[in-house]
Amino acid sequence: MRDIIKMIIVLTIIGAVSGLALSLVYEGTKAPIEYQTIKFVKEPAVKKVLTGYDNDPIADRKKVVIGEDERGKPIELIIFPAKKAGATFAVALEGKGKGFGGGLIGVMVGVSKKGTLLDIGITSHSETPGIGSKVGETSFTEKFKGIKTDQEIKVDGISGATYSSKGVMSAVTQALGYVNTFSKEIF
Amino acid sequence: MSITDEFTKGLWEVIPPFRLVLGLCPVLAVTTTGINGMGMGLATTFVLVFSNLFVSLLRRFIPSQVRIASFIVIIASFVVIVELVMQAYFYPLFKILGIFIPLIVVNCIILGRAEAFASKNGPIASLADGLGIGLGFTISLFVLGCIRELLGSGTLLEIPVMWSSFEPFTFMLKPPGAFVALGILLATMNLITQVQARKGGGR
Repeated sequence: MRDIIKMIIVLTIIGAVSGLALSLVYEGTKAPIEYQTIKFVKEPAVKKVLTGYDNDPIADRKKVVIGEDERGKPIELIIFPAKKAGATFAVALEGKGKGFGGGLIGVMVGVSKKGTLLDIGITSHSETPGIGSKVGETSFTEKFKGIKTDQEIKVDGISGATYSSKGVMSAVTQALGYVNTFSKEIF
Repeated sequence: MSITDEFTKGLWEVIPPFRLVLGLCPVLAVTTTGINGMGMGLATTFVLVFSNLFVSLLRRFIPSQVRIASFIVIIASFVVIVELVMQAYFYPLFKILGIFIPLIVVNCIILGRAEAFASKNGPIASLADGLGIGLGFTISLFVLGCIRELLGSGTLLEIPVMWSSFEPFTFMLKPPGAFVALGILLATMNLITQVQARKGGGR
């Protein structure tokens, strides 16, 4: 009996100390990780979808609260504004859609202040290499150029990659939905 | 054995992938370039050194029935620390090594050293053991990575070194190429050991 109690106590202490140490490391690395993720994952896509700006959209990024999760914590959306002479003329933001097999496809969407879709760029996906991954190719992404934010998002999908194409469309729809709902906060 | 012996044994006598033939999964998977091999090796070394130290410090405190569970908690904590730090400061390397960073938890070298060495020896000897084995592992991965990079993409540390008409053996970058390179390295090491033994009086 005493052995069992000792085992429980030792394991509990080790677990608790590890947990505490990890939470400290997590807090300490949170900001650099966010920065690195933005720099390596989002920056190439942001640069692709926005053109003609004279500011640094990554440094000028801002967060817009778009709702609450089930614990009551605010869900934040990161907006990358493109400015010319200090005035925002377009923004880039990310939407997510379900791809083939249920994995999420992240799509960076550039929208001008007038409500026109400038370009899209895939930030993250787990689609089949060589088939679903074709949604990242320019021949597909350029089909989204010029769509108005109040239009329904519908472009010709890639044959053989219907689900992946639909995933991109729903990601774009989600991003444009944010633009329509929160246009005041975003621009 | 002295502290120096504990340290140096990991560099040749029991150098992990070649002599112990342990932890082969990351060895074969990530050594497509020298840098990748070294990154993986250093991450493993960090975990090995600290898990050895803590297991050794706590060895009288942990009841033997729950020792494996305790070791795994200690190892897993350091793996998560490595993962977070790499993600924060070495993001491109973190992306390449991907799933193999969390998998350090189940690398049998680390649990093996905790069980076979650190739980029976003092903290300083355990530190030396962890550092030696870790560096041995890093060197092995680095050498293997360099060989595969040289033959598979014609570069060394991402600098092109082969002549211009050199056609890279893409095969070397694929998993079978890893086995072949590992086999050749193992054979070379055995040959050296044999020659050494013959010189030393033919044991």
